[in-house]
Amino acid sequence: MASSAAAGFLSRGSSGNNSNMRGLVQFIADLRNARARELEEKRINKELANIRQKFKDGSLSGYHKKKYVCKLLYIYILGWNVDFGHLEAVNLISANKYSEKQIGYLAMTLFLHEQHELLHLVVNSIRKDLTDHNELFNCLALHAIANVGSREMGEALSGEVHRLLISPTSKAFVKKKAALTLLRLYRKSPDIVQPQWAERIISLMDDADMGVALSVTSLVMALTQNNPEQYKGSYVKAASRMKRILVDQEYAQDYLYYKVPCPWIQVKMLRLLQYFPPSEDTHVRELIRESLQKILNLALEMPKNVQQNNAQNAVLFEAINLIIHLDTEQALMKQISSRLGKFIQSRETNVRYLGLEAMTHLAARAETLDPIKQHQSIIIGSLKDRDISVRRKGLDLLYSMCDQTNAQPIVGELLQYLQNADFAIREEMVLKIAILTEKYATDIQWYVDISLRLIAMAGDHVSDEVWHRVIQIVTNNEELQVYAAQNILQYVKADHCHETLVKIGGYILGEFGHLIAEDKGCSPIEQFLALQGKLQGCSSSTRAIILSCFIKFVNLFPEIKPRLMYVFQAYSHTLDSELQQRACEYLALASLPTDDLLRTVCDEMPPFPERQSALLSRLHQKHGNTSDKRTWVVGGKDANIIEKNPGLKRAQSSNGGPQMNGTNGTTNGTNGHAKGANDLAGLDMLDTGPSEPKTLKAPNLASAAHLSPDWEIGYNKLLTKAEGILYEDGQIQIGVRSEYRGQMACVILYFSNKAPTAVTSFTTTLDLEPAEKENLSWEVKGLPESTIHQGAQSQQMIMFEAKKVFDKSPTIRISYIAGALQALTLKLPVNIHKFMDPAELTADDFFKRWKQIGGAPREAQRVFGVKGGRDGDREINESFIRRTVEGFRWGVLDGVDPNRKNFVGASVLHTGGGGKFGCLLRLEPNYGTQMVRLTIRATDDSVPPIIIKTMEERLAVGISAYPETMEQPSHRDISNVFENILVT
Amino acid sequence: MPINYLILLSRQGKVRLAKWFTTLSPKEKAKIIKDVSQLVLARRTRMCNFLEYKGWRIMWRYGASTNELSADSKIVYRRYASLFFIAGCNSTDNELITLEIVHRYVEQMDKYYGNVCETSYVISPLLQSSRIDKPQIFNFQKAYFILDELLLAGEMQESSKKNVLRVISAQDSIEDTEVDEEVTKIM
Repeated sequence: MASSAAAGFLSRGSSGNNSNMRGLVQFIADLRNARARELEEKRINKELANIRQKFKDGSLSGYHKKKYVCKLLYIYILGWNVDFGHLEAVNLISANKYSEKQIGYLAMTLFLHEQHELLHLVVNSIRKDLTDHNELFNCLALHAIANVGSREMGEALSGEVHRLLISPTSKAFVKKKAALTLLRLYRKSPDIVQPQWAERIISLMDDADMGVALSVTSLVMALTQNNPEQYKGSYVKAASRMKRILVDQEYAQDYLYYKVPCPWIQVKMLRLLQYFPPSEDTHVRELIRESLQKILNLALEMPKNVQQNNAQNAVLFEAINLIIHLDTEQALMKQISSRLGKFIQSRETNVRYLGLEAMTHLAARAETLDPIKQHQSIIIGSLKDRDISVRRKGLDLLYSMCDQTNAQPIVGELLQYLQNADFAIREEMVLKIAILTEKYATDIQWYVDISLRLIAMAGDHVSDEVWHRVIQIVTNNEELQVYAAQNILQYVKADHCHETLVKIGGYILGEFGHLIAEDKGCSPIEQFLALQGKLQGCSSSTRAIILSCFIKFVNLFPEIKPRLMYVFQAYSHTLDSELQQRACEYLALASLPTDDLLRTVCDEMPPFPERQSALLSRLHQKHGNTSDKRTWVVGGKDANIIEKNPGLKRAQSSNGGPQMNGTNGTTNGTNGHAKGANDLAGLDMLDTGPSEPKTLKAPNLASAAHLSPDWEIGYNKLLTKAEGILYEDGQIQIGVRSEYRGQMACVILYFSNKAPTAVTSFTTTLDLEPAEKENLSWEVKGLPESTIHQGAQSQQMIMFEAKKVFDKSPTIRISYIAGALQALTLKLPVNIHKFMDPAELTADDFFKRWKQIGGAPREAQRVFGVKGGRDGDREINESFIRRTVEGFRWGVLDGVDPNRKNFVGASVLHTGGGGKFGCLLRLEPNYGTQMVRLTIRATDDSVPPIIIKTMEERLAVGISAYPETMEQPSHRDISNVFENILVT
Repeated sequence: MPINYLILLSRQGKVRLAKWFTTLSPKEKAKIIKDVSQLVLARRTRMCNFLEYKGWRIMWRYGASTNELSADSKIVYRRYASLFFIAGCNSTDNELITLEIVHRYVEQMDKYYGNVCETSYVISPLLQSSRIDKPQIFNFQKAYFILDELLLAGEMQESSKKNVLRVISAQDSIEDTEVDEEVTKIM
C-alpha cells in the first residue's frame, strides 16, 4: 500500500515518469518497510556510505546532487545525524534550476544554524536571487533569510529586502515575504531598520492585498513596541482598516475564514491598538468603537463549527482586551463584563480559560473590582477544575481581584487549595499568598498567623525571599514582635517543624525573645531548649542561624550562659569550618572580661531599609528583548501602574500593608544572618534584562522643520483669503475652504488626484509645535479616502479652536503611494488673525481706546519698506494696502485719522480660554519713499507682536509695479506638468 | 506575536516535523521537544488547547542562546487523529488565533495532497491523519514548502488558501518542466 501511495504522490511531479528520483522513492519505501530500528539503521548506514562515496567521486550532475541531498534531508528528519554533504547542499543554491535551488535552500535551513560558517559562502548567492527578475527565486532567497538570517546577513542584505518590500514593481506575494523577512532581521538587530523607512512601511498597511497588509502589520507591531513615536501613524491606519474590513466589508471572499473576515489581521490590529495610549481624536475613537461593537455583535452569532467558534472568539477576546485597555468605553465595558461572567462558567474549557484570563486583565485595569467580585465563588471553584491550565488562570485571577475586603477569604481558600495543588504551581502560589498577606494585612495577628501557617504547610516550596520578607516585616513593625515571637516559639517547640520555621525562629527569638521571656512557657531556658532540640536535624545554614541566636541569648539571658557556652564549645570542634569559626568567635566574645563588646555587637538590629519587596520581582521576571511587550501584568491595579512606568524604579510594593520605616541600612557584621538583606537587594539583578535597543531619534516629518519646497506660495495667498489652492503639482491639488466663527474654525481640505492612476494609502497627519498645543486645539472630523481614483477628489474636515493667542500655524503631512511614496509637508493657513472679526468704531471711540491701551508693552510698531527697495519692480500702493489690511480681518475705519492717507482699523480677536481682545491698527504709508509705519495696539500684550510680524511680511512683498503680464512658465512648472509622461 | 516553533508529534512521541522560528542550540531544541512531548502526551481529551510551559525559563536564566523567547511561554496544541500539532508561543499571544494557524496548515496540506489521492478524499479529509502523516514520508519536502508559504518568521503570512496553493502549483509546474528536460537529456 505504501509504495502505491508513493507512486501516487510522485505522479504529480513527473506525470508517471519514474525517473523522478526513483532512488529516493525506493529508499523511503525501504525505510518505511524496515520493521525494526536496527534494520532502519542498517539501511541508512548503507545509503550514507553510498552517498559519501558519490560525493567523494565528484562530478555529479545537479539532478544527482539534488537526489542525494534529498536522501540526506530525509535521514536528518528521521532524527539521524548527518555530518557531511553540507557543502554539496549549499552548492545547489547557486544552481540555475528552480527545483535544485529549492532543495538547496531547504537543506540550508535545516542543516545550518545561524552562526554556521558555510552561511558566509551563500550570502552572494542569496543576493543574486534577491535581485533576480524571477519572483520565485526572490521568494526562495527571502525564505532563506527569514529562516536562518543572522545579524551579519541582515547587515549585508537588509537593503535588498527593503527594496523588494517597497518597490512598486514587487508582486504582492513577494512583498509580504519581504515584510516578514525584514521582521526577522529586525529581531536579530533592531538598527537594521532605518528610521526614514517608517512612513513607507506604515503606508503599506493600506495595501489592497490582505496578505501584504497582514504581514506588514506584524512588522509594524514589532517596530512600534520599540519606537511608538515613530510608528504612531499606524494607529489611525489600523483603526480605519479595521473599520473597512468589519463595517464596510472590504475584503476578498477568499479571506473569509469560516465566515469571519481575516481573523488574523483583526487580531493583529486590535493588539497593535493596545500598544498605544487611547487616542484623543474623537473621530478615530468613533472608528474603533464602531468596529468593536460590530465584533461584539458578530460574536453573538451561533457558530456552525469549531473553526468559526475559535476564530470568532479569538477576535472577541482580543477586542475585550482592547476595550479594557481603552478604559473609557462605558457602554462596551458593560457588555463585556456580563459576557465574561458567562464565559467563566462555559462548558468549553478553552472559553473558561480565556474568560478567566480576560477577567484578570479587567482586574488589572478596572476602577472597581465589584463586577468581578460577584463571581468570586465561581472563580474559587475554578481552582478545582480538572485542567491545570484553567486552575492556573483561576489562581492568577484570584490574586488580581484581591483587596482589603476579600483578602481573608481568598487567602484562606488559597491556603486550603495549596495542600492539594500541583507541585508545578506550589512555589508560585506560596509567593502569591505571601504577597497578598503582606499587602492586605489589616490586623497584625492575621499576618503572622497566615505567614507562619503558609510556611508550615508548604515549607519545601517556600523560596528564601518569602521567609526573609517575614523577618523584615516583623523587625520593622514593633507591634508584631511579641506576637510573632510567641507564635514562632510554639512552632519550634513542636516535634515536627519545617526547617524554614526554625530559621525564622532562630532569628526572631534572638532579636525579640526577651520580650516574651516573662510569659508562661516562654522562659529563656524553654526558648533555648526548643532551638537546641532542632540543632541536630538541620542543615548547616540553619545551625549557623541558631548559633547566632545563641550569642544573642548570651547577651539577653545571662542566666543560661553556661548552657550556651557548652553549645559553642561543642561546635568549636565541628568539621564544618563555617560553624566552627562562628562557634570559636562567639566563644571568645562571650568569654571577654567585660561584656561591652558583646553588647555592642548584639545590639538590636536596626530596621531594614525600605525597598521593593523581593517577592514581586521574583514574580515578574523580565521578558526577552524583542519578544512582545505585555500590555498588562497579572496583579491588581497597583501592579500595572508600576508596569506602565518601566523606567521608574519600583519604589514600594506594600501600600496599606505593614510599613517599614527603616533608614539605617548597615547590617550587623556578627549577625550570621545579615546576608539575608543583601540577598533581597541582590535579587534586583533579575530585573536588569538585556539592555533596550538603541533607537535613533526619529525626525517628525509632519513638523514645520520638514516643509516641502514651494509650500509658501499657496500659504501666503491664503493668509488673507478664506479659500483657495494651498498646493498643486503634477499629481495632486490641495484646496482649502475655511470658515471662522468666534474662536472656532472649520477648515476643509480638498485633495484632488491629478495623477494618471489612482493613488493609494492616502494619509494625512496634523502636527503643531508642542508648546503651541495648548493654545490651538483641533478635532479631525473625518479621514480622507485611503484610495483616490484618477481625477477624483477626497476631503477632510478639521475643526480648530483658538484657546489662547498662538504664534505658529499647524502643519500637515500628506503622504500617498503613486508608484513610490510621495509625501508633502505643508503649513496650514490657520493663524491668529483669522480669528479676528472686523469692528466698526467712531473716531471718538477709536482714539479713546487707542489712548486707553497706551504704548508698550501693549503696542508694537514697525517701520519698513518694500522688499528690493524703491527702485525695484514691486511697490506699495493704496489699493494693495487696503486689500491686505482687510485681508487680515481689520475693519478699515475711513475718515477717522486726520491724515486721510493713513489707515486705521479695529477688530475683535476671539479665543476660547483668554476671551476676547480688542485690537487697533494704524498704518502710515509714505508712497514717495515706499516706506510704511505700522502700529498695532491690543488689550493684551501677547497679540501685537504676532500680528505685526505676519503683516509686515505680507506688506513688504508689495505688488508688481507693472501691469500684470503672463509669466513664462518656469522650468519647474514644465517638469511638474510633464512629470507623469516623461520617463526619468 | 510570533510562533517560536512548530512540532508535529505522533502519539507514540515521534517527531514528524519540527520547524524552529528562533535560533536555538541543538541541546535547547532537544530539551524543548522532550518537555513539550511529555506535557502534551499527558493531556486528556476535553481539556483546553493551551498549556503553560515554563521549562524555557530555566534555560533563559542560565544564558540561553537567544533572548527572543520569552521567559514565560505557552503551548497551543491540537490533536488530529494520531498526530499532535504543537505550536510554542509567548504567554501574551492570542491562543485561539494560533490554534487556527495550525488548523489552516492542516487544511492547506490536506488540500494539496488531497487533490492527489482522490480515493481517500471522500472520507473526512482532516481526520484522516494518515494523509497528513504520509506526505511527511513520501513528499516530505512539500510539507516544509507549504509551511514557508503560510508562516514566515513565525508570523502568519497568507490566510487565503487559494493564494498559497497558487504559489505551490507554480513551484510544481516549474519542477515538472525541469524534470521533463532532465528526462529528455537522459534519453
